[in-house]
Amino acid sequence: MLDENTVRNLLWLLLLLPFLSGSISLLAGRRINGWVGSVAALLTLAGLGLSVFVALQTGTDVLTLQTNWLVIPSRSVAITFRIDALTLLMLTVVHFIALLVQVYSISYLHDERARYRYFGFLSLFIGSMLGIVLAGNLIVLYAFWELVGLCSYLLIGFWFRKPAAARAAKKAFIMNRIGDAGFLLGIFLLLFQSGTTELAELPDLFVSDGRLATLTGLCLFCGCIGKSAQFPLTTWLPDAMEGPTPVSALIHAATMVAAGIFLLARIHFLLTPDALLLITGIGTITMLMAAYSALYQTDIKKVLAYSTVSQLGLMVVGMGTGTVNGALFHLTTHAFFKAGLFLAAGSVIHGVHTQDMRQMGGLRKAMPITFIGWAVCAAALAGIPLFSGFLSKETILTGAFGWAGQQGGLAYLVPVLAVLSSGLTACYMARQGRLVFFGTNRAPETSAVSVHESGPLLTGPVVMLAVLSIGFVFAGNPFSAEHSWFFRLFPAVGAGDEHLWIAVLSVSVVAVGLWLGWRMPVLTESTTMSRLSEHNWYLDGIYNRLIVRPFLRLAYLSYGFDHSVIDRLVDLVAIGNVVLAHMISWIDRTLVDGLVNGASWLAHRLGNLTRSVQNGRVQSYIASAVVGLLLILWFLI
Amino acid sequence: MLSSLIFIPLLGSLLVILLPDSLKNSYKWITLAVCSLELLVCGAIYVAFDPTQADYQLLERADWISLTLGSLGVVSIDYLVGIDGISLPLVLLTGVVMLVGAISSWTIDKRLKAYYALYLLLTATIIGCFIALDFFLFFLFFEFMLLPMYFLIGLWGGPRREYASIKFFLYTLAGSVLILLVMISLYISVMDPVETAMNIGLISDRSEATDDLIRQVQFLLADFKIQPQQLVHTFDLRYMSHGGNYLPNSFLSPTGEIVVLGIPSRMLAFLCVFLGFAVKLPVVPFHTWLPDAHVEAPTPVSVVLAGVLLKIGGYGFLRIGWGLFPDGAAEYALLLAGLGVISIVYGGFNALAQSDLKKMIAYSSVSHMGFVLLGIASLTAEGINGAVYQMASHGVLSAMLFLLTGVIYDRTHDRRIDNYRGLASAMPGYTALTAIAFFASLGLPGFSGFIGELFTLMGSFQSLWLPGWMTAIATLGIILAAAYFLWTLQRMFFGPLWSRTETAGQLTDLDARERLMLIPLAALALLLGLFPNVLFNLTNSTVAQWIQRFSVE
Repeated sequence: MLDENTVRNLLWLLLLLPFLSGSISLLAGRRINGWVGSVAALLTLAGLGLSVFVALQTGTDVLTLQTNWLVIPSRSVAITFRIDALTLLMLTVVHFIALLVQVYSISYLHDERARYRYFGFLSLFIGSMLGIVLAGNLIVLYAFWELVGLCSYLLIGFWFRKPAAARAAKKAFIMNRIGDAGFLLGIFLLLFQSGTTELAELPDLFVSDGRLATLTGLCLFCGCIGKSAQFPLTTWLPDAMEGPTPVSALIHAATMVAAGIFLLARIHFLLTPDALLLITGIGTITMLMAAYSALYQTDIKKVLAYSTVSQLGLMVVGMGTGTVNGALFHLTTHAFFKAGLFLAAGSVIHGVHTQDMRQMGGLRKAMPITFIGWAVCAAALAGIPLFSGFLSKETILTGAFGWAGQQGGLAYLVPVLAVLSSGLTACYMARQGRLVFFGTNRAPETSAVSVHESGPLLTGPVVMLAVLSIGFVFAGNPFSAEHSWFFRLFPAVGAGDEHLWIAVLSVSVVAVGLWLGWRMPVLTESTTMSRLSEHNWYLDGIYNRLIVRPFLRLAYLSYGFDHSVIDRLVDLVAIGNVVLAHMISWIDRTLVDGLVNGASWLAHRLGNLTRSVQNGRVQSYIASAVVGLLLILWFLI
Repeated sequence: MLSSLIFIPLLGSLLVILLPDSLKNSYKWITLAVCSLELLVCGAIYVAFDPTQADYQLLERADWISLTLGSLGVVSIDYLVGIDGISLPLVLLTGVVMLVGAISSWTIDKRLKAYYALYLLLTATIIGCFIALDFFLFFLFFEFMLLPMYFLIGLWGGPRREYASIKFFLYTLAGSVLILLVMISLYISVMDPVETAMNIGLISDRSEATDDLIRQVQFLLADFKIQPQQLVHTFDLRYMSHGGNYLPNSFLSPTGEIVVLGIPSRMLAFLCVFLGFAVKLPVVPFHTWLPDAHVEAPTPVSVVLAGVLLKIGGYGFLRIGWGLFPDGAAEYALLLAGLGVISIVYGGFNALAQSDLKKMIAYSSVSHMGFVLLGIASLTAEGINGAVYQMASHGVLSAMLFLLTGVIYDRTHDRRIDNYRGLASAMPGYTALTAIAFFASLGLPGFSGFIGELFTLMGSFQSLWLPGWMTAIATLGIILAAAYFLWTLQRMFFGPLWSRTETAGQLTDLDARERLMLIPLAALALLLGLFPNVLFNLTNSTVAQWIQRFSVE
């Protein structure tokens, strides 16, 4: 057992390693292009070793390590690391998938001129993601949360010359920001009620009861809505596929988007039943809508993107219905098989130079390893028995049925819709397999690309992830997750017992889904139903019309107001002052000056008058003197 | 030591004026040397400052004007400078920004003597504002600052420079008339207990003054035992902030009940001070001078304007508004925070609508300074620490943003966002630094903007004076910031390279001089963001003591 200081230093090392390597590669520039990928991968390998080492040393104890960061009189914020089983699980998963993706990228981006930038961003991402995983309080978690958003922005927009990539990057960041604003308010609400955001102290200090507590939980959940692309903030994730494919595998399938689920696991204890109900609702809507949207996509990556959204929705349902560890189990299995699917898709794209599935077909012969890797991962995703996805999905479904049993009535809608969407999942995956790997090659005549299997750097990671998607890896009995090693680490606290009928039901729905998907024609004619799917329920259009454009209009309106009302008023005041000045000057010239002139004129006239009086006649002098005297006397008396 | 901050640039200015025109190439070096020296002195002050002490430090004082006015008492105006935890960060900021501005001034190519002389004069007056502890002295610097600023915009500015400079001048002047009125009323209402003690023969020399003595004099004053002609009136801000020094029944006495226009006199005075400094910050709706001034001002003047000049508004709030009238601050907390929130959101929306890069940044400044007002109005330690932090952070970042605008303007004389696309291909270094500045400004953790916004928002949410929904509206500001900065980034820098006005070879990447200015600023923003305690250590004690007058009874 290591002492606390050593663990603390190791964790700092673990966290700072990717940040340092990322910054150095960004500063070093093109000259390190040749070897930056390998070094980055080696560092990640070292990180993986280090996290496994820490895991072995600390076991399953909960460890909280604080370092003061900033202190002001009434508030101090510490950088807290929290080590528990969840942290260690995530550390391992993130490192492992990041390592595979980096190895894959060395080959995938071989011709890219800015590889130093790519691997630099990737390292920064790994660091930020580790920060989220290690964070022991919500402020630190929020800080890394935002950094992950930045890295996602940079990597989606990696090919910044493509306008679509630049647009998608911006969209991703802003939509995440919207969720994060809610998250931030949730943090403030927590601070307000319990005075702390430390995960170790919150269970004692936060009273999870009442409407304020519900509001707090929902605000925090906003962060998850943004990062995990839940409804209504879903639309950025499909667009994010503009980034390089390995990035999609790592960030937009396995790790970053799972951070929302991770957050829910961290704060699950403070969610009130009302909050959980709403969370379940959001998860259900997301799961179903996205599964349907995946159905008619023609882009090989977009299918996977919508599938990711849908699976994240399923995990949120798991969280909402109380199967916390089941959702985490699905997070783990999903990380492997979805990363595998993306990397397989990348290998296909690398081979055929298109992402349009309508121009593929029959690739299983040309790319056998990729095909097998893809097939295993797809089977896991579809939830076919013997594969990992089956185990984790069944756990969530069981939990959801159990939860619905407690709630009764309409609550049964949730597990039923979950089963339905797992059927949809099987359907779109079967369709993808058919379009890409079976049938005949539909590549246009003009593109004379001879399709061949990708090199070992590309297929290796796919195979590895495929192996990890086999059910035996997680449980000795591949039909029941009950005795999986996972649940020995994370005791299942779900509501329901395993029932055979749930498994039978879902497997038969999956079988129907597979059959329907296989039968879907290559070129579907455009119907209302298919357009709804293709355009993701027209959410983008609706948002554009209802939110983006009104916001912009408001912006222009407020500028118009600023320009022609406030500023105009200021100018009018100024002009009014000048006018007033002119008026005063006119008054000065005509009235005041006039008075003076008038006075002098009067004096002149009076002078003339008196001159005529002073005419030298003594009598009149005396007479006027007497009159004057009398006047004075009269005045005095 | 503090005085040298004022006199070094003054002497530098004089030197520039006296040197013959034939040496005009040396002006920029002189200015650079003076500003570097200034920054060095700032560093020395940082070292000499004791952050554990809440009170004013490094005081320097000299009798300046003393007049006996018979029954009106004695007029005493002192030369008094000193700093505390609130002013020190701003003094340091001024040192940095003025140096950067001096380097950025090298692109100025006409009337060099006048330019550099005015620039150094401006430096002296700004620093003077931050360290003066005598209201009269402060006001003198505050007003005098307008003169160099007026000419710097009016002579070296863009096409509408005359309009912009006059607007700037009149706006600020209108604000300062209100401050002047309050200053005079304060002066009539406040005595200097030490000099009064000397006057009535309790002590014979300043150095004998003790806290007990001051209390004794204050009791005498409260009991009407001091003759009016023996009273020494003062502009000393230290005495003005203590209720015991107010003449009973005087116009602004905290115990008095004078009502003017239906408002208690002290409340009215607070509002006047607030309005005066609100123009400077600026607070919506008193902000319309700012976009015009920025658009017309040459780059270095914009840098100084956004980097430090606006902070005098926030500093004035703290030192004079909130410092002398805590009762007014508590009374109007809701109104003031409301104006802060309006500034945040309104500034954000306006920034979103701009097509001129510089104007966009000017409006983003309005939005960011709204956070300062919100934090101060919250009357919490988080809010006020955060506000000072936000001022320092915005000083660094806005300086950077305006420099970046200057970079593209110097090359093509065109700042319209729509006239460029894909600049990243031609100017990668420029793009990288712009992206850093944009992300730092929109509050990305790791950079200083995050801490400022986090703490001002946290303060406003915890505040007993403000409702929670106010903070909720204010968070709209951070979403808007992401929108206008990233939209600009997308439109100007990403996509295929294209420019409406470029003639071949104009779009060159940053040169060494530009990098010399920008990289240290970026590093500073990063440093402040990673180690916020560097700044909070300075402000903590002062704010802690300061906040006590708002603690709820």
